[in-house]
Amino acid sequence: MIKKQTAKVLALRYKFLAFILFILAGGLVLLPKYQKNEGIKPEQLLSNVISSERYISTDQIAHKIINQDRSAILIDVRDENSFNKYTLPNAINIPLKKILDEEASVYVNQNQYDVVFFSNDNFYSDQAWVLCNRLGYKNLHVLKGGINRWFNTIINPPKPTEDMPEEAFNLYATRKASSMYFGVVYPDQVGIKTSELVKKTAPKQIITVQKKKKAPEGGC
Amino acid sequence: MGPLIPNHLIPLEWNNIIAIIIGIAFGFVLEASGFSSSRKLAGVFYGYDFAVLKVFFTAAVVSVIGIYYMDYLGYLDITQLYVHPTYLWAAIIGGAIMGVGFVAGGFCPGTSLCAVAIGKLDAWIYVFGILIGIFIFSELYNFIEPLFNGDFLGNITLIDTFNWNPYWFIFIFSIIAIIAFAVADFVQKKVKKVFY
Repeated sequence: MIKKQTAKVLALRYKFLAFILFILAGGLVLLPKYQKNEGIKPEQLLSNVISSERYISTDQIAHKIINQDRSAILIDVRDENSFNKYTLPNAINIPLKKILDEEASVYVNQNQYDVVFFSNDNFYSDQAWVLCNRLGYKNLHVLKGGINRWFNTIINPPKPTEDMPEEAFNLYATRKASSMYFGVVYPDQVGIKTSELVKKTAPKQIITVQKKKKAPEGGC
Repeated sequence: MGPLIPNHLIPLEWNNIIAIIIGIAFGFVLEASGFSSSRKLAGVFYGYDFAVLKVFFTAAVVSVIGIYYMDYLGYLDITQLYVHPTYLWAAIIGGAIMGVGFVAGGFCPGTSLCAVAIGKLDAWIYVFGILIGIFIFSELYNFIEPLFNGDFLGNITLIDTFNWNPYWFIFIFSIIAIIAFAVADFVQKKVKKVFY
């Protein structure tokens, strides 16, 4: 008699446990799924922001453009007026306000090409970089110094004084050659007797106007 | 351990202590449920005692439901969990060999150590057999090596391979578990009881 009762209780206990298991598993199916934080974790974003490996120097960008290296997409994050006045060749204009739009994500959210943000100086391009890096986009870079440094190093390279090492002279030579590629006319190269340098704005398409070989300038 | 240490609720050094405590509790529970008896363990294959089946299924279902609930609540991140690497044919052949050892000896490696702790002689012989098997494997490793390292499919799960919805998979898995328990009870009533 007792055995029958314990058998009954045991059966009920197992049914109860099975019912609880069923409810738990069913709850897992039925609970509404929500999107947790989209993008990378905050600690990772912080370590990405602190490290300086996102910066590309202006020399590297000039090198890429001159070699017609199509692996980089240049994105100008300034507004339209500044973009229309002067920009790097083959750059796309995505103003900072629109960097998260659908049409911008075609350029920004892909793994094939490197994306280089630039603006007048680092600040806006860094902001664009942080926004896109937070969402986990890959291959993002920032042009260090932006257009200002582009002018100061490539378009208008500073002439090295006599006490600088040879690398400085070589660097000046390459920069002067790159500036000639981008349309800067030097009077002593062309032979025009003018007292000031004529700075043309760099064209939007890559026009090979004056493409000279990168020979060192001094000591002929 | 679980959601406590990755979320920095307790310091990292508690990992080992919690591991020891869990191990002690595990051994205690194993012995208390009678898993040191080789007849109870081999009963799955003869049909008079399905305790092993029930334990395995319960452990799998409880852990997978717990993990997915914790992932839903944000305490855990499923993508960060470690998954064992899958070597297909090595797993199949190794599993078959282990199955033969299980039925023949009546112990798994874990429960054999449990039985050693209570002093059963057949557990000592079982452990000695494990050591002999390890020795044979290491001597024959040159021949077994392509089998051992071949068919590496990566650290994948069933859900990754077949692209199932994980929640439905868990639900169906727990339904299967409940059905398996009912069938096991049914079979157990029909089979002749063995004294152990």
